[in-house]
Amino acid sequence: MSAEREVIDELDCFGSRCGASVIGSGRARSADDAVVLVRRALLAWHGRFSRFLATSELSRLNGDTRATVPVSPLMARFARAVREAGSLSGGLVDATLLRPIERAGYVGDLRQPPALATALALAPDRRPAAAAASRRWLEVEVDLAASTVTRPPGLMLDSGGLAKGLFADVLGEALATHAGFAVNCAGDLLVGGAARIERPIRVESPFDGRTLHTFELARTGVATSGIGRRSWLDGDGRPAHHLLDPSSGRPAFTGVVQATALAPSALAAEIRAKAAVLGGPRAARAWLAHGGVIVFDDGSHEVVAPPRVVTLEQLYATSSRSATMPNAAISCAVSSAAGSGREMK
Amino acid sequence: MKPSARTAEQLDARALARRHREAMRRRARRIRRSVAGFALALFAAAFLVVYVQLASGNDPALVANGAKREAAALSAASDTESSAASETPGGGEQASGESSSSGSEASSSGASAVTTSQS
Repeated sequence: MSAEREVIDELDCFGSRCGASVIGSGRARSADDAVVLVRRALLAWHGRFSRFLATSELSRLNGDTRATVPVSPLMARFARAVREAGSLSGGLVDATLLRPIERAGYVGDLRQPPALATALALAPDRRPAAAAASRRWLEVEVDLAASTVTRPPGLMLDSGGLAKGLFADVLGEALATHAGFAVNCAGDLLVGGAARIERPIRVESPFDGRTLHTFELARTGVATSGIGRRSWLDGDGRPAHHLLDPSSGRPAFTGVVQATALAPSALAAEIRAKAAVLGGPRAARAWLAHGGVIVFDDGSHEVVAPPRVVTLEQLYATSSRSATMPNAAISCAVSSAAGSGREMK
Repeated sequence: MKPSARTAEQLDARALARRHREAMRRRARRIRRSVAGFALALFAAAFLVVYVQLASGNDPALVANGAKREAAALSAASDTESSAASETPGGGEQASGESSSSGSEASSSGASAVTTSQS
């Protein structure tokens, strides 16, 4: 347990709540300095990555008529993340669907979303999403050394959740030497720190905001994706939201309304959470290999326990306490923890 | 001189030479084994050091790259910080420099809880 002070800062950014919590001093100097650094970085990145700002770097990249465009190192990393997301999810998480999402009605400020239960009642039949046949994310090529992005002019990138996961990871790199930290980029979290302080991570229900489950973890990326928040009714009164089925270009109603994924990085968690929602109830669990929570249409939820990992320190402590060789501990290090189960609302 | 005519002294000399050769072979074998054993032990020790270092999550290459990326990303962020602050965000995503809550607290568990929800 660290006796050092924890400094917490929150702000409105990316159309949601963001913030940081830092314990102890480190590379970013004091904890107070560190949260200021996070705040400045988030506000700056909002200005560069928002597709709603005509002057943003992302808007300039999307509107650039050249095939190869010089970009900032962070934009290059984002473009690489677009490619990785497509590749890791088999095309389910496709950040090149900007035109379809605009056609679906997400072109500006969203008003209060309709109640999730109402939207679900109006929604079409549930079916799992599938990759687009065109797989346009494959056309995005990135040269990180030269900091350039190559893609056919007209192929536009949507920063969406991927950028937020990436931002959490970049900030986590800056805060890694502090005793403990948590970065929240609009629901995409990175928790870590040199002292491995465990932190409660609460998963909120999309229906009523209550806490569905609490993980206690010291180092992890966490992301929650779903159809409850960035949603609206289109001109025909049909429910719509920001998670599109790449195969149809229409909002996906799969039977999963929210997925929270744990992963080694926030970006990986974001990709897994989106893929779990889009994959539907049958495939969702497979996307949560590092643990998470799935919330279904009917309000029930399933907790997928993270694999139990025994660190070398714990292994050493076990072997020095016990006269026996820690074979049991070693074997449990690679085995998955049981204890998952579906719970009714 | 014919072999049959070898004297006992000559036979002793041959046996002595044979014993010398065998002793040399044994010594060479011992040295070879020592060298091989030492090399194996050295390799195992080096492997163990690298394995423990990586398994404990402290990959020096990742730390170095992370530091470089962090420097690049954060310097880029601070470069554009002023321009971002001067822009008025419009459309679907708002940014606000106003902090709704900023301060410090120390929780008994060492770290405050964080909540993940749909963004």
